[in-house]
Amino acid sequence: MRSIIFANYIARDTRRLGATIKARLISVYVFIEKCLRLSCLNHSVSLICVFDVEHSHVRFLGNLVLNLWDCGGQDTFMENYFTSQRDNIFRNVEVLIYVFDVESRELEKDMHYYQSCLEAILQNSPDAKVFCLVHKMDLVQEDQRDLIFKEREDDLKRLSRPLECTCFRTSIWDETLYKAWSSIVYQLIPNVQQLETNLRNFAQIIEADEVLLFERATFLVISHYQCKEQRDAHRFEKISNIIKQFKLSCSKLAASFQSMEVRNSNFAAFIDVFTSNTYVMVIMSDPSIPSAATLINIRNARKHFEKLERVDGPKHSLHMRMR
Amino acid sequence: RPFYVEPRNIVDEDTQERVSEEASVMNSRMQYYSRLTGSSDRLLIPPDHVIPAPDEIYVYSPLGTAFKIHGNADGSGQNPSIITIFAIWNTMMGTSILSIPWGIKQAGFTFGVIVVILMGVLTLYCCLRVLKSRAAIPFIDTSSWEFPDVCKYYFGSFGQWSSLVFSMVSLVGAMIVYWVLMSNFLFNTGKFIYNYIHHVNVTDTDVSTNGTDRVICPYPNTEHHANHSADLYRTYGNNTEDVFDQWWHKTKTVPLYLIILLLPLLNFKSASFFARFTFLGTVSVAYLIILVTLKAAHLGFHLEFHWFHSTDFFVPEFRSLFPQLTGVLTLAFFIHNCVITLLKNNKNQENNVRDLSIAYLLVGLTYLYVGILIFAVFPSPPLSKDCIEPNFLDNFPSSDILVFIARACLLFQMSTVYPLLGYLVRVQLMGQIFGKPYPSVFHVMTLNLIIVGAGVLMARFYPNIGSIIRYSGATCGLAYVFVFPSVIHMISLHRLGQLRWPSVVFHSFLIVLGIANLIGQFLM
Repeated sequence: MRSIIFANYIARDTRRLGATIKARLISVYVFIEKCLRLSCLNHSVSLICVFDVEHSHVRFLGNLVLNLWDCGGQDTFMENYFTSQRDNIFRNVEVLIYVFDVESRELEKDMHYYQSCLEAILQNSPDAKVFCLVHKMDLVQEDQRDLIFKEREDDLKRLSRPLECTCFRTSIWDETLYKAWSSIVYQLIPNVQQLETNLRNFAQIIEADEVLLFERATFLVISHYQCKEQRDAHRFEKISNIIKQFKLSCSKLAASFQSMEVRNSNFAAFIDVFTSNTYVMVIMSDPSIPSAATLINIRNARKHFEKLERVDGPKHSLHMRMR
Repeated sequence: RPFYVEPRNIVDEDTQERVSEEASVMNSRMQYYSRLTGSSDRLLIPPDHVIPAPDEIYVYSPLGTAFKIHGNADGSGQNPSIITIFAIWNTMMGTSILSIPWGIKQAGFTFGVIVVILMGVLTLYCCLRVLKSRAAIPFIDTSSWEFPDVCKYYFGSFGQWSSLVFSMVSLVGAMIVYWVLMSNFLFNTGKFIYNYIHHVNVTDTDVSTNGTDRVICPYPNTEHHANHSADLYRTYGNNTEDVFDQWWHKTKTVPLYLIILLLPLLNFKSASFFARFTFLGTVSVAYLIILVTLKAAHLGFHLEFHWFHSTDFFVPEFRSLFPQLTGVLTLAFFIHNCVITLLKNNKNQENNVRDLSIAYLLVGLTYLYVGILIFAVFPSPPLSKDCIEPNFLDNFPSSDILVFIARACLLFQMSTVYPLLGYLVRVQLMGQIFGKPYPSVFHVMTLNLIIVGAGVLMARFYPNIGSIIRYSGATCGLAYVFVFPSVIHMISLHRLGQLRWPSVVFHSFLIVLGIANLIGQFLM
C-alpha cells in the first residue's frame, strides 16, 4: 500500500514481504512523529529496528514524517518490540492509521494488538485521531462486502471507546483506497475549509473550469473546485496515477517533477508547484487565454496560499499501522 | 486473464462509449502499478475477479436467432470451421423458412428453385464484399468494427444514420412478423387444447382433404387476405363453442392477450437471460425439417408441370409474381450486419470465404428442401397449389398433433427471441439518439409500446407475414445487401486507383437489381 500511495518503487529487500503480504497478516506499522520546527528527526533515527522489522520514513504534508514499519507478521517480535519501545513510539502521535486484513483468520489476535495500540495511544497521546482501514476487500464476494464491513466497523467502534475511530473499506483494485486516503488527508489539513473557500475564489477569478489541490508527495486531492458537473467521477485517481508514473520516470533520471502544461484546441491544463506541501492543477476550457496569463495568476496566488499555510503551525503526527 | 482497453479519443465526443468507466479507471490503475515493480514481478498483477467482464456482444439476424458471442480478449478466434459454419447457419435460419413454400408458389416451381439458387449466390457475393470491406481501410485499427462502422467511415454521419434506419426496418419488421406468428401459434395452440379438453370433433368449414392427414385451404377464394368476409358474417350464438370462438379469435383477441405476456419481457434491462435459449431455434428448425419429411412421406408427391398458364389446381412454372420470392429471400439470406463478428472467431481466418460459402450452401439446401417438399406434396387434386399459405403451418388444421407440437415449440422459441430483438432495437436506437441504451423508463416504455402497438395492429388488420417479410426484406436488403457493399467496394478500389470499368458495370448492375427488387415488391 505504501508504494501505491507514495509512488515508491517496491525495493528489492521487500521481496520477503511479498510472501507475508499473501499471508494472513500484514503488519506494517507506520508512525509519524511530530516534527516540530525546533526538533529534528532524532526520534525516527532512534527507532531503527533491531528486530526483523522493516522501517522507512517519508515526508508527508510538508512537515509530517510518516514512519512505516512492517514487522512481517512475526508476532513475537512485534510484541517484544512494542513493550520495549512503546513509549517512544506512541508519544506525540496525532493520528493512528491501523490497517486490517479482511481475510485474516485470527480476528482475536488482530483485535488484541489493536487494543494494545489503543491503550498506548490513550496513555501517551490521548488526542490522537484513529482511522481503521479494512483492506483487501476485493477478496470478499461482492454481495457480502457491505455486510462484512459493517460488522467489522461495529466491532472496531465498540473496541475503540473512548476514542473515536473512523473506518474505511479499501482495496488496491478499486477506487476505495484512493478515496480513503484522500479523506484521511483531508482531515489532516489544518485549515481545510478556509483553503477551499480561497480555492474557489481563485478559480472564479481566473475563470478556470476546475482547480485541484494535490498533496505533494502522494498526489492525493486535498480539495478541488469545479464550476460544472464533470463526466468522469474517477478523474482524480486517474490524474494521480498519471502524475505518479511521470514522477517515477523523472526519479530515474534523478530529476524532480516541477510543472507541466497540456494544451489542445479544446482545453489547457496546468500543473505546477504551489505551496511547500501542495501542487495545483488548473483546467481552462477557453484556449484563447494565453498560458502566460494563467501562469502569472498561479504565481500570484501562490504567495497568498503560502501565507495561509504558514498561519497554522505544524502539529501533525500520523500513526499508521497495518495489519 | 488478459485485459485490454482501447485508447479513447477524449476530444471527440463519441455518442457511444465503447469503454466502460470501470474498465478505463482499472486500466489507469494497472498502468501505474506496473511501473512500480519489475515486469516479471507478479506482486501487482490484478487477480481475475477484479477485471471487469468483457462487454456482451450480440449477433442477430432478422427472423433468425440472436446470440452472444464469446470473444477472446486478444481478438483471435478459437472456433474450428465447423462451429463457425454452424453458427452462421443457425443465425440465418429463422422463421422465414415458413414462407419459402409460399414464395416458390408465387414464383412458380421451376422458376422458384432457380431464383432461390440465384439469390443465394448473389447474397453470398455481397456478403463476401461486406467481409472484405474492413480490410481495405488503411491506417485505422478496424479490429472491433462491424459493417455499420465501415459505413460510417465511408459515408460519415449519413452512413451512420442510414445504416441505423435500415437496421431498424429489419428489426422492427422482424418483431412485427414475430407478433403475427405468435398470435397465430397461440391461437392454434389454444384451440387445440380447448378441442382436446372438450372432445370437440372439429368440422371445419374450410376446404380440405379427407383422411387422417388433413391439409386445409383456409382462404379458398382468390382474394386471399383482403377481407375476411367469412368471419365477418358469422353469427355468434350462445353455446360455449361460439363463446370460446368469440373470445379466442386469431386476429381480434389473441394478439391482445400476447401483450400481457410479452410487454413486461421487453422492459428487461439486459437480455442475457434470453440469450440462453437460442438453442431452441436450432431445435425448432430441426423439428420442422423432420415434420416436413414425415408429411411428405404420408402425403406423397403431386406435381404437374404447366409451363406458362395456370390451371385449376396448379400454378405455372414461370410466374410474374417472382419479386415476392426475391423479397422473402433477401431476408432469408440476410446476415450482412453481423457476418464480420461471426467470422472473427474463426480459428483459420484464411478459410473465411470457404466457410461462408459452405454455410450459404447449407442454408440454401435447407430452404430448398423445405420449400420443394411442401410444394411438391401439397395435395393438388382436391386443393389448388394456390392455397399454400405464407406460413405453411397454416395449411394444417389445429387438430394435427405433429403440427401442434411444432407450433408450441415455435411459440416458446419466438417468445424468447422477441425480447432479444427488442433489446437490440433499444440499444441501437437509444444508443444512437440519446447516447446510452437505457435513458429512462419513460423512453424505453414509449418505444416498447410503439413496437407492440405496431405488432398488434398488423396482427389485427394485415396478418400476411409473406408481405411483411418481403417488404422489410427488400428495404433492408437494398441498403445492406446491394447498395452499401457495392458502393463501398467501388470507392475503396477507386481510392487505390484500381477501379476498372467491368467492375463498375457489374456493381452498378447489382445496385440496379436491389432497387428493382424493392420496386418489384410494390408493383407485383
